[in-house]
Amino acid sequence: MNKTKLIIVREFSERVRKKSFIITTLLMPLLMIGLMVAPSLMMMYGGGEQKQIVVIDRTGVVAENLTPTPEVQYIEHNDLSIQDACRIYGEQSGVFGILYIGSDIEARDSVTLISNSSSTPVIEESISKQLNEIVKRNKLAELGYDVDSLERVMQSVETNIDIRTRINNGTGDMEAMESSSSGINYALGMILGMLLYMVIILYGQMVLTSVVEEKSSRVIDVLVTSCTPFQIMMGKILGIALVALTQIAVWAVLIISASKFLIPALFSAEVAASNDMMMQALVGTLGDTGYIASLFAYLILFILGGFLLYASLYAAAGSAVDSVQDGQQFNTIIMMPIILSLIIMMSVFNDPNSPIAFWASIIPFTSPIVMIARIPFGIPTWEIIVSLVTLYLSFVVVAWVAAKIYRIGIFMHGKRPSWRELGRWLRM
Amino acid sequence: MVDNILQVEHISKSYTGHRALDDVSLSVPRGAVYGLLGPNGAGKTTLIRIINRITLADSGSVLLDGKPMQAEDIFHIGYMPEERGLYKKMRVGEQAIFFARLKGMSRREAERRLHNWFLRLGLDEWWGRKVEDLSKGMAQKVQFISTVVHEPKLLIFDEPFSGFDPINANLLKDEILGLHDRGATIILSTHNMASVEEICDHMTLINKSRNILSGSVEEIRRTAGGNVFEVIHRSNSQTLAEAITPIAQLLGQSEGIVGGYTRSKIHIPKDEDVREVIARLNDHCGLRSINEVMPSMNDIFIRAVNGTL
Repeated sequence: MNKTKLIIVREFSERVRKKSFIITTLLMPLLMIGLMVAPSLMMMYGGGEQKQIVVIDRTGVVAENLTPTPEVQYIEHNDLSIQDACRIYGEQSGVFGILYIGSDIEARDSVTLISNSSSTPVIEESISKQLNEIVKRNKLAELGYDVDSLERVMQSVETNIDIRTRINNGTGDMEAMESSSSGINYALGMILGMLLYMVIILYGQMVLTSVVEEKSSRVIDVLVTSCTPFQIMMGKILGIALVALTQIAVWAVLIISASKFLIPALFSAEVAASNDMMMQALVGTLGDTGYIASLFAYLILFILGGFLLYASLYAAAGSAVDSVQDGQQFNTIIMMPIILSLIIMMSVFNDPNSPIAFWASIIPFTSPIVMIARIPFGIPTWEIIVSLVTLYLSFVVVAWVAAKIYRIGIFMHGKRPSWRELGRWLRM
Repeated sequence: MVDNILQVEHISKSYTGHRALDDVSLSVPRGAVYGLLGPNGAGKTTLIRIINRITLADSGSVLLDGKPMQAEDIFHIGYMPEERGLYKKMRVGEQAIFFARLKGMSRREAERRLHNWFLRLGLDEWWGRKVEDLSKGMAQKVQFISTVVHEPKLLIFDEPFSGFDPINANLLKDEILGLHDRGATIILSTHNMASVEEICDHMTLINKSRNILSGSVEEIRRTAGGNVFEVIHRSNSQTLAEAITPIAQLLGQSEGIVGGYTRSKIHIPKDEDVREVIARLNDHCGLRSINEVMPSMNDIFIRAVNGTL
């Protein structure tokens, strides 16, 4: 055990002292926030310049009602033939394209955008939205309605109803019931599941790479004169697990302290005043330090279990090959259940209590990712316990099998072993 | 009975389509400096890897101190593989301490002894550097130190001198002999015959997976010597040839050397009396000296491999 400890300490201290580790640990939370904020920022500022579109309108009533938007500006040229328009407003003209509207706008293929370069969904959507609106107004006018007053009426009766979800606690006292928001549960489940996925893949492959390096540099030959292959393998897996947990612990401290100090200070007054339920629920959840801390506790248990399980497989794979490239085939196979977990996780968000969600979070190879994604939705504790016990028991079995391959694989050089050979190593 | 620290008995090992070791047996006396010789690919490294339990033998057994070797026994062996294994990204000193502690030393003791070794081998400036910054020779020295720092009773070096310049090879040789003086048994594999001549007292010659010659270096050289003597004398070679006939024969050409002497090689068959020859040389040829000529290990190696020993 003492030797395993030495190996754990070496694996751990060599890695956490690396600049790359320190940088990713500190920058990752920022990066995640960035990833969440970036899409909306891009929407706001990334629209690109306004496009000029020449309109040839054979209906005679549509083009005059087109108004410029941030995306598109229209130039009316109803008198031009298509041939002339195409000639004049070619690529050199600086015009984005020609919008041709046939005499019956609602006929099939009546509206055509002849563009000089590739079009985008944003532009097409902006045009079709306006066209629909114009045709609708025209039809209403034809039916004899006063469109402007109708519009005012529609605006005055517009409503927006939010649903507040609370978890039944049997008392009927609604204020005492825990409020929940499926949107936030979804987001939390997604973030936790993806985090677990990333940790298992990145750190799992770190195990593979490091086993291969030890083998190809023949350090392993020296190591085995001091300790058993099992000690070396477990030392490496546990050492790298410790690195992963350290990273998550740092994130946990950052996020929990943000939940305790930053969120209340920044948002409480504003949110209490606002009527946005989603916002209230979000701040409520993120500000609930106890809840966030319990999520991290589960996260750590599942990340550790999931990592240990997969790391054993990666260690066995690394021992069987001579180079990281040779390990790719095994890597692909190990990745399959991980990817499957992700796919099941997506379906979990539609119904967190479906049979597939339940079983996938009990079966060990998919359970870490699927279960952690379900936990924010409120899962019975016994399910979580069964899932954890199964996960850790299967780690023991898989590690035992992996060690049998490892202890022979690390000394085999040359051709990558066939499956049959791996089977023989297991029986040796 | 000889006290053998290590006995290898009837070891055979095959890889697919290739027999690496064929019924190899040998005994390493306690306190010996034991040379494992052989051309490239003869099976030396395979044998060493079997002794270190890195490779499993197909058949045969390895005894340590007269008892079948157990998995834990290997922890009492210091082994330096031919393809040196060090973590490239790790700092030299930390790495040496790591290996020493894996061998069961305390951190304090490891540091003390390692600093000593680093100073002795001129590595002390490199303690805080990464292994990848070291030259090949320096990395080998670090490897050597890591192998011996816990002073195991049995040390196995696979091609210890390869990659060293003559000065450092000599330094390493002296350190190995120093460890031997302090009581360690040394096994080293090499195809460098000169080093065997200098430091080994016992040896085994492996060729084409078989042990073809085994024993004490002294004896092997004497047996292989073929009873050849070098004579330095006043007379010319003609006189010498006549004087020793029919007991002994002159071999090859004689040569004149400084001071008016001549050097000749003669062969005295095993059953003849050497003293009789000496008496005749003394009487007729103005004998100055006579010495039995030991063949060089190089000659023995080549003759053994060619089957003409």
